[in-house]
Amino acid sequence: MISLVRYMFTVLLLSQRYLAPLLLFTGLTAVLTSSDTGPLAATYSAVAGVMLLCSAWLTIALIGLEDPAHRAIVVVTAGGHRRVLLGSVAAAAAWCLLLTAAGLALPMVFGSHTVRPVDLALGTEAQLISAFTGMAIGLVCSRLVFRRQGYALVAALVLLLAALLAKGVSPVNIMLTDLQHATDSADVLGSTGVLVAAAVLLLAVGTAVTHVITVRKS
Amino acid sequence: MLHCEAVCKRYSAGQWILSDVDMTVSAGDVVAVVGTNGSGKSTLLKILAGLSQPTSGTVSGRPPTVGYVPDRFTAHERISAVSYLTHMGRIRGMSTAAARSRGGELLERLALVGGPTASLRTLSKGNAQKVALAQALLVRPGLLVLDEPWSGLDASAHGVLGDFIDEVAGQGGAVVFTDHREAITGTHATSAYAITDGRVVRRGGGHTEGPAPMVELTLTAPAAGAVPAQLDWYALPGVVDAARRGQGIVLRVTREHSDTVLMTALRNRWSVDAVARASHDRGSPTDARSVAP
Repeated sequence: MISLVRYMFTVLLLSQRYLAPLLLFTGLTAVLTSSDTGPLAATYSAVAGVMLLCSAWLTIALIGLEDPAHRAIVVVTAGGHRRVLLGSVAAAAAWCLLLTAAGLALPMVFGSHTVRPVDLALGTEAQLISAFTGMAIGLVCSRLVFRRQGYALVAALVLLLAALLAKGVSPVNIMLTDLQHATDSADVLGSTGVLVAAAVLLLAVGTAVTHVITVRKS
Repeated sequence: MLHCEAVCKRYSAGQWILSDVDMTVSAGDVVAVVGTNGSGKSTLLKILAGLSQPTSGTVSGRPPTVGYVPDRFTAHERISAVSYLTHMGRIRGMSTAAARSRGGELLERLALVGGPTASLRTLSKGNAQKVALAQALLVRPGLLVLDEPWSGLDASAHGVLGDFIDEVAGQGGAVVFTDHREAITGTHATSAYAITDGRVVRRGGGHTEGPAPMVELTLTAPAAGAVPAQLDWYALPGVVDAARRGQGIVLRVTREHSDTVLMTALRNRWSVDAVARASHDRGSPTDARSVAP
């Protein structure tokens, strides 16, 4: 599995398709957090909103890189559709972890905050919720499910809006609301941890749906 | 070994591409699947390789190590050929050093133009096909599935591909390949299946009844100065190999179709330099360059 992730990570790196989501992430984080001196919980909720968009974009880019013939070779080489899909998920997660690290550090560069470990823990949780939800959206809107990129784009926008706005249903929406109203990071750390588990579940559902559709279409 | 029973396939609610396919491929077999364009050859191969699930029916006994070469290997990646093979080898469980050295060795045998460090996106169709072939042979496959492997390959690579097929079959692996030219299937396969209207019928093989007799036709431009028409030689019936030698062309044609090919060549203002019974080794004439099909 490590060799598979390494291959996918390298292909995306060499293709430079990671660059647009990475620049968007850095740019939006800079705009949203520059000269910010407020509580870090609210700052990290803004970064998590950006992460949702960028993780979905990265996942779609990662899966769309290889044409069907290349992917067929990787599927036969790795021993099945499921392993390759899990490899794609792991490679997307590796990219999102890099973004998470950047997302934790950039608000310190652009604003002035007093950082405590509990703030960093909350920031990591918030970004992981968005990353896993974004990856789930990216998977079901990838080339494996949608052959036509226009439909994929519309579906991705609808699902991203739903993830941001569905009150009380979407882990991302609940997390954003909680963090914006939190005065101390320690107050919402536990409840946000539960939302991470919900986002992991969402990613598992997204992966399963994508796998079923991939096998049916193959 | 590999056994298909009552395999049917269709995509969504579309028409049936394969219906009631029964097929057995044993260790050491070299099986050709013959059919016209769009007859379902590639779909059958995808099912055999485990890429595609049959709509109904069962496929059993697939060996754990499968090598698959698709009919088109369009490469957009910036990764180099040898790095690509190293990654594929590692995914198959090889060490980095072993994968790199095996990949380099295969590319050398296939004479990849541009060398092993050439980026995949810079490779021509034939050279990309060589990389696709190499990745399928990094570890010894128990089943090697080749979709139109000869298309795009040059004459010298034709011989190497034949050697690879013999090596895999000789080491107890099975090989299944497709081609729409029956002359090629007759030369390489031990048994053949034909696909028509989604149904697969077993045919007699090549080697089992002895290879088909071959004729070597040497054609040149006439001395009078007439310019012969450039033909797609591989599109003619029975043409196994077409190689350029100086100003002329050397064709290897099955005896069954040699008269038709000769007639076509004469009609297109080619002049006959020599006609000879060809030997059965797959080597191409020395210093010959391939004629793209």
